[in-house]
Amino acid sequence: MKEKIKEIERSALAEIASSKNSDSIEKMRVKYLGRKGLVTELFKKMGEARPEERAGLGQLINSLKGAVARALDEKASVVSGSGGAKIEKIDITLPGIAREVGSVHPVSKTINQICEIFISLGFRVVEGPEIENEHYNFEALNIPLEHPSRDAFDTFYLSDKPVACAEPLSKHKWLLRSHTSPVQARFMEKNKPPFSIIIPGKVFRPDATDASHSFMFHQVEGLAVSESVKFSDLKGVLTIFAKRMFGEKIKMRFRPSFFPFTEPSAEVDISCILCSGAKGPAARDTRQKCGLCGGKGWLEILGAGMVNPRVFKNVGYDPDKVAGFAFGMGVERIAILKYGITDIRMFFENDLRFLKQF
Amino acid sequence: MRVSYNWLRDYVDINISAQKLAQVLTMAGLTVDSIEKRLGDSVLDIEITSNRPDWLSYIGIAREVAAITGKKLKMPSAAGIRGEGARQGARGKVTVKVEDKKLCPRYTARIIRNVKVGASPGWLKKKIEAAGLRPVNNIVDITNFCLFETGEPMHAFDLDNLSGSAVIIRKAAKGEKIIAIDGAERLLDESMLVIADSALPAAIAGVMGGLKTEVGNQTKDILLEAAYFDPISIRRTSRLLALSTESSYRFERKVDIDNIQYASDRAARLILEIAGGEMGEFIDTGKIRHDKRAISLRYERLNKVTGVDIPPSKTRSILTSLGARVKSLSRSALKLEAPFFRHDLQSEIDLIEEVARVYGYGNIPETIPQIVEKGARLPFDMAVDNKIREILTSLGLSEIITYSLLSKPLLLKAKISDADVIEIKNPLSAEQEVMRPSSIAGMLNSIRHNINRKTKSLRLFELGNVYFKEGADVFKEKRNLSMGVTGLEFTGWTDKSRGVTLFDLKGVVETLFLSLGVVEFSTREVKDDTFSPAACSSIEVKGEPLGIIGEIDPEVLDNFDIKDRVYIAEIDCEKLLGFVSLEKQFKEPPKYPSVVRDISIVVDKNISNGQVISSIKETAGRILKDAQLIDRYRGVQIPDGKTGLTYRLEYQDLKRTLLDLDVQEVHFRVVRALENNLGACLR
Repeated sequence: MKEKIKEIERSALAEIASSKNSDSIEKMRVKYLGRKGLVTELFKKMGEARPEERAGLGQLINSLKGAVARALDEKASVVSGSGGAKIEKIDITLPGIAREVGSVHPVSKTINQICEIFISLGFRVVEGPEIENEHYNFEALNIPLEHPSRDAFDTFYLSDKPVACAEPLSKHKWLLRSHTSPVQARFMEKNKPPFSIIIPGKVFRPDATDASHSFMFHQVEGLAVSESVKFSDLKGVLTIFAKRMFGEKIKMRFRPSFFPFTEPSAEVDISCILCSGAKGPAARDTRQKCGLCGGKGWLEILGAGMVNPRVFKNVGYDPDKVAGFAFGMGVERIAILKYGITDIRMFFENDLRFLKQF
Repeated sequence: MRVSYNWLRDYVDINISAQKLAQVLTMAGLTVDSIEKRLGDSVLDIEITSNRPDWLSYIGIAREVAAITGKKLKMPSAAGIRGEGARQGARGKVTVKVEDKKLCPRYTARIIRNVKVGASPGWLKKKIEAAGLRPVNNIVDITNFCLFETGEPMHAFDLDNLSGSAVIIRKAAKGEKIIAIDGAERLLDESMLVIADSALPAAIAGVMGGLKTEVGNQTKDILLEAAYFDPISIRRTSRLLALSTESSYRFERKVDIDNIQYASDRAARLILEIAGGEMGEFIDTGKIRHDKRAISLRYERLNKVTGVDIPPSKTRSILTSLGARVKSLSRSALKLEAPFFRHDLQSEIDLIEEVARVYGYGNIPETIPQIVEKGARLPFDMAVDNKIREILTSLGLSEIITYSLLSKPLLLKAKISDADVIEIKNPLSAEQEVMRPSSIAGMLNSIRHNINRKTKSLRLFELGNVYFKEGADVFKEKRNLSMGVTGLEFTGWTDKSRGVTLFDLKGVVETLFLSLGVVEFSTREVKDDTFSPAACSSIEVKGEPLGIIGEIDPEVLDNFDIKDRVYIAEIDCEKLLGFVSLEKQFKEPPKYPSVVRDISIVVDKNISNGQVISSIKETAGRILKDAQLIDRYRGVQIPDGKTGLTYRLEYQDLKRTLLDLDVQEVHFRVVRALENNLGACLR
């Protein structure tokens, strides 16, 4: 049997080597590897060998089959390359033909990512109007008119009629919402707890435009209200969010702060995603300070807190019976940190070389 | 507020580094933005939230540091001015009259005669500079020093220049003017409070003093003002005059009304020490009685809000270290009286925040809320938005976001009517004067921006609101989708490239609608100034117009400096939403084969594809499955004024195999109808 295999190998390789064109190569292929080919027949005859020999024979025949197939392929490519046949070869290095897909704007993409994380945590997504009035933008949220706490919320007002000079402030003047928080009040007026919602949307503030300020940007607001929501829940939810958004390795920090509509209030920082705080305040040489966190080691990502009982009163809830937490974040800020974008204006210039990166 | 590390140590023992102090303060809610090293000192830039005016002073911050680090606050001395050992002032003839008690509930004036105005001593200059100010003279520097030390703004007048030796606190008269110490003349109005002498305003109350009564080198006698002004009034005045000062900033956040005399005493003591002089009279319009606020704090509530068990003893020690006094105690609650300088402590939640803040947010655990939200998903319109994004990006369009505010001239450039636009009352620049009634101008801006940067083949879309007035003053906003294409259609390296056409864009709209389950899409010619009259149609679904599609008018393109042709479609998403159906319904594929027949005809140029298709559909009836234009030709083989059209008709019967004969009969009728109704000739 082994002799037979050797013999077939010798003759096959010799015949293939001497064949001149693709026709004869194909004939060889049929002669040795075809359904009734010589190599194929060897497989069938394996049954006649003694059981202890079979495994060894199988290997031999297989390697013969491989060697013959290789020889055939090699010869075939030589023959066609030397113009032996009329096949026109294709230059496979030419580029494929398909239109590039477009890109989703990084702001939409980030909003969707944020929404997905919170939906998975049991939050419902709701929306509200961009054109608001003073009641929902300020008063319902415990931001009194003519109070310094409004300084953080410079606001665009809409003119109902041409106004020449400053007039006394009246209720229900129309404006462009300066944050997404008014939707909290709108939602609570119409719904009963328990609920947990997030609210993405556009907001406007008359800020002079520069690399880190834009008069139009986006926010995502969150609100969870039930009989028993507590500050530790707020920490838990936001920690899960930040780790999913920025990676499991980041550290979190909740700093006391002030917002009129929450109490206690916090500002939430993550450890710097560039330097992880390594070039933080401990770094002596100021030139080594991290460019992203400015040497602080921390990056502010959002504001949060427990819903102020006054806000509950304003929407007709009993502040002794319910508790809630709320948070708000700037979408561009999150995207800037996530992708290392250097200038907020890029989001609205719509340069394709920027957009296509997302 | 800029806080010098060395200066702060005058009021509390600090045995941690400036770095460490910054960290401790930050975690207590006094965010340190930066630390500046200067001349053996560190200056901390602290961001102070608007609810804590008491932190706008060294004493206030020292009190916080003392509470957190367990040290004692050291109050600076104001001794020697009142009571035992005080030098009694001679009586003079100065009068103080408060005309508006509401806006000025308390006013004190202290006279010091024969002071020696000059440069401040070195230590004082250093402190003034650390605060970020420029030293002026000893009197002015002392009032500024005391402002930072005590948080109480004070002002010194040159008494000789106060005519009639009178101080009148009144509202300004209409048209009254004052030249302030910054040298600028300011026009006042009747809402503003001024400190006047018998003739003219001498200071804008709480905001800035007047030039005429400024303390200078020739000043001999001074009147030192320490007062409390109504926060809202000061805020309004400061805003109307666009003048924010260290003074107004503190008054509009409420100063400590009970601290006024202490601050005045402290300043007087320093003046006598540094500038000499003799104490004159002290005039006080009177102390104000407060309601002492007693606030209850339930331990159970504290633990419920924070989610952590804070022991009652810890709670008590935190609150007392911040200056609160325990009025009564029980197993379940604590009753406290808040100090005067803590205006922000009004109710239980305010105390809870204080306890949580000092206890440390970092010591509160992380838990997961137990809320079952039935509707944890995207609302339908946002889900549709995402579906639109998915389809359009797969068709090669990229999403853009352009500003919702723009300038009127930009609208004019795009020939968009500004009849119903909403105007912004307080834009920062002309670029923000109106709200966009359409997203086409923004689309054209983005196209130009990219062309200028050598990206000339563009396929863009935007999803966002447009805004307009309905009637006189009803403001409306609604979701809008715009799509724009220009440049070359993608053909790779295979063929000769060709420019995009209106039909590339129309194809996008058709595919989009199909994917959204929007059926019965049609177009109808309309007129719109933004679009070229040659190619402008409404987009209609089931006969209802939802938008517009066409080629942009060459003049508009010229205005935007765009040389290439641009095609834009704009769709009202709210209307579109009514036709969207993302639910799929299975239909069994037909069992019987279809029969395909082509028709090539020549028709008059004016006959539209739409007319031909409707004629075919009408005549063919039920067994016509589909009719598609597969070729359109004008040229040598077609007579002038005619168009050659080829249609592929697919016939199918769902119930049986169609016989040749059935098809022949219908097909013949289709051809006849085209001949008779549209004057078509078979080719």
